[in-house]
Amino acid sequence: MRLRAVRSVDYDDRGLEVVSFCGHCGLAPAATAQATKSRVCGRCGLGLVLRAASDVAPAREEPFLVVDATLSVCAVSARAEALLEIDETAAVNKHVADFLVPADANAPSAANLLALLVEVASGASGPRTAVVRPRQEFGVRFRARVGACGPPQAALLVLTS
Amino acid sequence: MLSVSPNTLRAWERRFGYPRPQRSAGRHRLYTHGEVSALRDALQQGLSISSAVSRAREALSTDTHTLVGALAAFELDRADAAMESALALRSVERSVEEVLLPSLDELAARHGTDSAPWAFAARWADGWLRRAQRLAPPPVRPLAILVGDATRNDLDPDSLGLRAFELFCTRAGARAMTLPVAGVAGLAEVVESLAPDAIVIAGSHLADDDVARWAYGVRAAAGALPVALFRRVPHDRQVHTMGARMLCEEPFAAHRQLLALVDEPAGSGHAEATVLPMPGFEEIERRREVGS
Repeated sequence: MRLRAVRSVDYDDRGLEVVSFCGHCGLAPAATAQATKSRVCGRCGLGLVLRAASDVAPAREEPFLVVDATLSVCAVSARAEALLEIDETAAVNKHVADFLVPADANAPSAANLLALLVEVASGASGPRTAVVRPRQEFGVRFRARVGACGPPQAALLVLTS
Repeated sequence: MLSVSPNTLRAWERRFGYPRPQRSAGRHRLYTHGEVSALRDALQQGLSISSAVSRAREALSTDTHTLVGALAAFELDRADAAMESALALRSVERSVEEVLLPSLDELAARHGTDSAPWAFAARWADGWLRRAQRLAPPPVRPLAILVGDATRNDLDPDSLGLRAFELFCTRAGARAMTLPVAGVAGLAEVVESLAPDAIVIAGSHLADDDVARWAYGVRAAAGALPVALFRRVPHDRQVHTMGARMLCEEPFAAHRQLLALVDEPAGSGHAEATVLPMPGFEEIERRREVGS
């Protein structure tokens, strides 16, 4: 009998597969010997490898941000840098509301998005969706998937069309 | 330590400005253990390289806060300990440039340079730099530098910059000697004994005439030598000029510039590229003739 290499698959508490992606380029990490030793993405070298449930993780070329439980921006993907015209090095440790604000007319207050991010980042809530817009722009809206990612635990905010 | 390729490290240096390597004589990048280990720890707990770099920078800046706190509280032992801990993570040069001098700058901004807390801190820093110079390895380069000290006294902020500059030159293997610009008596014997390859005039306190008189004395004893100015703003802009290279304000960059100036081939024209106004030897001679 011939043995075949298999990849290990993790599942979250909802039974969904947990996948890895780079916090900068958004791609799945390369399966090299060096990549297994380091959290740094072996493809672009500019992001750390993060993990999230497959229904939350960014698809190829989807822009995203990572926000911690204090609502500070911790990572901005290359696509999000271009889309929002921000530089990750300048954006980290700043409040997420400096860049994105809720744009849902049905939402009762701006605090809802922030409360959602805190809940997700602290593990108190499962994946949700929201509508957001860049802080300084009107008439532009993005649907956002919000779910947990890590390590360490944080909220992943994936912008979709 | 980081399990990343040299290309990735270079990409981080371009994008994040960290880790910031020094260069070897052969222009190879030299990373400090402290910077790399701080980054390794931050990467394990971070969500992005940017946030890890930010955290690593914070970890390294705690030494500056500790030193400022110790000097502000007049605790010499704690100040010495802060420098010891800085040296555990960095080279002497970077400990001085990234911890000692910024801490003194902060104290100067907080209390002013005419205050007792500044005097306390400046005296401690002066003593620390002199101790470090005494512990430097013996000269290995056939290079002697004569420094003319035109600072007010050891409480002049430029005086600490000069001490650091002298320390870096000594650690680079050169023989550095500092003499006060105010004293010209017996200068010729000292200059003949040292046989300097370059002259540096440091500090802005003394007048251009005093500096030119001292430089004339040195030149009379040692002949034409490259002259560089460190933290010196010429007072009198109306007099004739001589070719003098203005060195960078930061002691480490300044010592590298000086070594390059001495090493550069004669007539390459670089020294003339940054001619600065200061009284020339011709001006001194002209004034002497007028006086006589």
